[in-house]
Amino acid sequence: MRQAIRALGWATSILWIFIILFSVTALYSVTNLDIGLGEAQIFPSSEGVVFSLPFHIDNNGYYDISELNITTSVTDCNGTLITFSETFVPSIPRGSSVETAHNVSISLKDIMSIEFTPLLFGDSFFDLGMFITLNFAHAIPLQMSSNATIPWGAPFYGFSIVKVSTLPYNSTHCEIVTYLSFENHAFLDITGTMQLEIYNNANEHVTSGKTSLDVPSRRKYEGQVIMYLDLVDLSRLTESGNVRVNFMTPMFMLEWWSPYG
Amino acid sequence: MVKEGNTRAFIKKIILRVFKAASWGFITYLLVCYPLTLIYPFGLLPSGYNQLFNVFVTMVVFFAVVTKFFSETILEYALSIAKALFIIIYFFYVFNGGVVSLTVPVSETTVNLVLDLRAFLAMLIFVNLLALAKSVLQAMSFLARKVEASQLSLR
Repeated sequence: MRQAIRALGWATSILWIFIILFSVTALYSVTNLDIGLGEAQIFPSSEGVVFSLPFHIDNNGYYDISELNITTSVTDCNGTLITFSETFVPSIPRGSSVETAHNVSISLKDIMSIEFTPLLFGDSFFDLGMFITLNFAHAIPLQMSSNATIPWGAPFYGFSIVKVSTLPYNSTHCEIVTYLSFENHAFLDITGTMQLEIYNNANEHVTSGKTSLDVPSRRKYEGQVIMYLDLVDLSRLTESGNVRVNFMTPMFMLEWWSPYG
Repeated sequence: MVKEGNTRAFIKKIILRVFKAASWGFITYLLVCYPLTLIYPFGLLPSGYNQLFNVFVTMVVFFAVVTKFFSETILEYALSIAKALFIIIYFFYVFNGGVVSLTVPVSETTVNLVLDLRAFLAMLIFVNLLALAKSVLQAMSFLARKVEASQLSLR
């Protein structure tokens, strides 16, 4: 029995030393991990755009990191999945470093499949979900998850036709001046052309005109579009009706109906 | 006269044991618990874990003191068994059965961490089961020696 007791005593001591050594070196390794994020970049792709987030991990610890998997998903405020991306790093051995990038591809097809138009005229938000898994020292699997809300600023927030007024121009024509306003809440400037077509309350086309747009981010736009109308057709312009607005920008083309009067 | 001498010897023995137990408790704190306080990540973990860490330190010192106080008695081994059982239950509770979930606030968002420490916990439980087995064998050996001694004195 004495031998058994002695053997158990030795086994216990050796295992305790092993556990303590592992705990201390594991904590030391975790504190010596150098994780850094690079500057996010946006690339055009054949299907849409790719947001690329470069990162590096310097494993200065005593243990390997394996099966690093980064998953991100972006959903709109209704919960519709817009994009889902995965980055897998099979192994980061001790004493080595890895430089890679997590790419989030956003295809225009996916964007167009969601209810896109309200996002151009009203502010909203997107939900960003991030899920990271890895295996530390081939013994301790770790999961990290986080959710963030990304605010979305509408480029044509509060778009409205303020007023449609008639002014004399010459003996045959008059000027139809359409005053309109909106706020560019988007993080990008809006450049392009805006074409307006006025329809009366009988839904008959009255006149049309266009103007160029150059609205910086976070700025209010208050402008007017001047159209010309033959005096003979002036009676067709009713007190109220609808204006068909065609936005043509390098990023998208959009048709929008807005009432006037 | 003889009785008084016995009492004095008993008190002397008790004082010596108390001194030994207190010294052993202090040494245990210095060698086991103090190094742990140096590497324990107080800032990283929630306050609940800090309290559990203090409970661990207190109990380890307590068992070291009482085990030394009752050394060379059957209680020494009973307390060693109790200590092994306490450590098994403690680690099982602290590691939440092997899967630890933490919520860490990072700037404006929160990060949920899930650590799978089942392999590590299994090792901790295994080593304490070995310690428990050792204490049981020691208790049996102690009792066997006692019985043997009493039988020899009867003859």
